[in-house]
Amino acid sequence: MTQDNEEDVFANRPKANTFFNQLKRSFSITKKDLRIYYNKGPVVIQGILFPIVLFIAFTLGRDIENIYLISGLVTMVLFLTATSIGPVVFPWETRQKTLERLLTCPISIRTILLGNIWSSFTFGSLFALVPLILASSIFRTWGSMKPWIIIPGIIIAALAFSSFSLILSVPPTDTPANTMMLTISIKFPLVFISPLFMPIDPTSYVLISPLTYFVDIINTGFTGTSAFGSYGLLLDFGVLLAFGLVFLLLAFFLHGKTVQKRF
Amino acid sequence: MNAIEVKNLSKHFTLSKKRGVGQKKSNQSLANKNPSISGLVKAVDEISFDVKRGEIFGLLGPNGAGKTTTIRMLTGILKPTNGKITIFNKDLDKNRILIQQIMGHVPEMANVYLDLTGMQNLELIGELYGVSRKERKNRAELLLKKFELLNWKDSKAKKYSKGMRQRLLLCMGLMSDPVILFLDEPTSGLDVQSSIIIKELIKEYHASGMTIILTTHDMDIANELCNRIAIMNKGKIIGLDEPHNLRKLKQEYQALDVYIKGEIKIQEIEELTNIKKVQKKRGYYHIIVDNLKLAIGEVIEYAKANNLQLEKLNTYEPKLEEVFIKMINGETTL
Ligand SMILES: Nc1ncnc2c1ncn2[C@@H]1O[C@H](COP(=O)(O)OP(=O)(O)OP(=O)(O)O)[C@@H](O)[C@H]1O
Ligand SMILES: [Mg+2]
Repeated sequence: MTQDNEEDVFANRPKANTFFNQLKRSFSITKKDLRIYYNKGPVVIQGILFPIVLFIAFTLGRDIENIYLISGLVTMVLFLTATSIGPVVFPWETRQKTLERLLTCPISIRTILLGNIWSSFTFGSLFALVPLILASSIFRTWGSMKPWIIIPGIIIAALAFSSFSLILSVPPTDTPANTMMLTISIKFPLVFISPLFMPIDPTSYVLISPLTYFVDIINTGFTGTSAFGSYGLLLDFGVLLAFGLVFLLLAFFLHGKTVQKRF
Repeated sequence: MNAIEVKNLSKHFTLSKKRGVGQKKSNQSLANKNPSISGLVKAVDEISFDVKRGEIFGLLGPNGAGKTTTIRMLTGILKPTNGKITIFNKDLDKNRILIQQIMGHVPEMANVYLDLTGMQNLELIGELYGVSRKERKNRAELLLKKFELLNWKDSKAKKYSKGMRQRLLLCMGLMSDPVILFLDEPTSGLDVQSSIIIKELIKEYHASGMTIILTTHDMDIANELCNRIAIMNKGKIIGLDEPHNLRKLKQEYQALDVYIKGEIKIQEIEELTNIKKVQKKRGYYHIIVDNLKLAIGEVIEYAKANNLQLEKLNTYEPKLEEVFIKMINGETTL
């Protein structure tokens, strides 16, 4: 072994720096995330507790159309769960002292971030199906549901909100509670300014919330008409896609900088 | 051939009140010692060295010397402020992922994933190194067996003892079948038995041709394991040599702590053949000697002859820091 020449050192090793290989490795990160975080505080609190509390707060004593009830609930659950792991993974792993080992592996920080996105995506979309199915069963809206609109809508929104949530873990802290504070102070206002449990007024401030466009997708998925006119769905998907992409690139860039400060 | 070549490597940290993670204490203490450079810590300061293929290379130094920072740069996770690292003739900065593919790393104070089983921990690392499914399983089983963890492979690491976690961490470092293995303080904080197991395995992997870079602040471990040792202090390499020279250096600072009833005449003792210097301390005398055995005899003789009652006599191993201070002061060189 000692006689090998230098070429041999790198030969016969798995290829590492192709896009496909890194993508594959990001799924391993996802597997780990799912195994570790499914029962961790932030996920449970934000995925189950918050939606229930907020749901009661929003709907108590109000007379709400069934469709808005469904779209509001699905949006809230999807947004809160899809953004629940992203912010805690880095501080958690820093604190648990597993981050350094992870970073030494032949993967880029983008691979880790992608892995985190897939896991948030999985949580978000799975959790969102629960109220969708429950409410649809209760209100018997199956007949009017258009899954070819709703399913892609859930996928794109879960991805967009997941990449958005990664931004919240950029500050190099090792205390998940710190990012939780930041997270809550950004996530809650977003929920409150969104047109949940009510019709969308396309001329109002609700336009600035990305959640609005997902609400519109779900509404359209049941009623067939978008609040934004005949090209409404195109706008909805376009905005969510752009929103997700911008935050993905921002997360790649910012994490690349702050990861150096985590040691 | 050189496995690693390091040229003028530096890492500077800017101190701010709101630091990220870890090392807050030593960081503080460094700032205290060196108020002149407050705001800038030269954790690693223009170091250069080579590591030959197949050798065990030790980085020896006291707390805060810059060992971990050096390792972090060599493993590609910390970007140097200055300097160049070449690994098997490839620039680390330009080929990070390719090079990491042939490395293994056991970080200082790292931990395994407590919510995963031993097997899942190894599987994860195997997957991240792109090891095929079959090979992953083989390697994991082999390592777990070697490190006596096979019976625990399907228990969550939460249930492991500290020594078991450290051993699992070593398995994780070896999962990639590395050509170069980095061990940051591999035995610190472990009981004697665990550290013996680990030392034996280090020797075994070295014998099989692996290049190993380890850090320690324990001179004896460095002596026992390393082919060559670089001594670091305050970010600089102040000596680089084979361990037998270090051993010699250590011998030069053997001393005795003598607890004795009554006054002794320091001058008289200093005149004895094997005694170099006597310092009066609180309640005892610190005697720097040439040859420990002969000096002990002389001290006992002296006490007898002068009717003094010896209460206690401790031999004294020099601390690394003390040897350093001598080296830095130019009293000795390595
Ligand atoms: N991220 C950081 N920010 C600021 N200072 C740092 C950082 N990391 C390390 N330092 C400082 O750099 C110096 C070298 O630290 P390093 O951890 O490399 O030392 P070491 O030789 O490994 O010590 P030990 O034996 O305690 O592990 C210390 O003064 C430390 O406080
Ligand atoms: Mg260290």
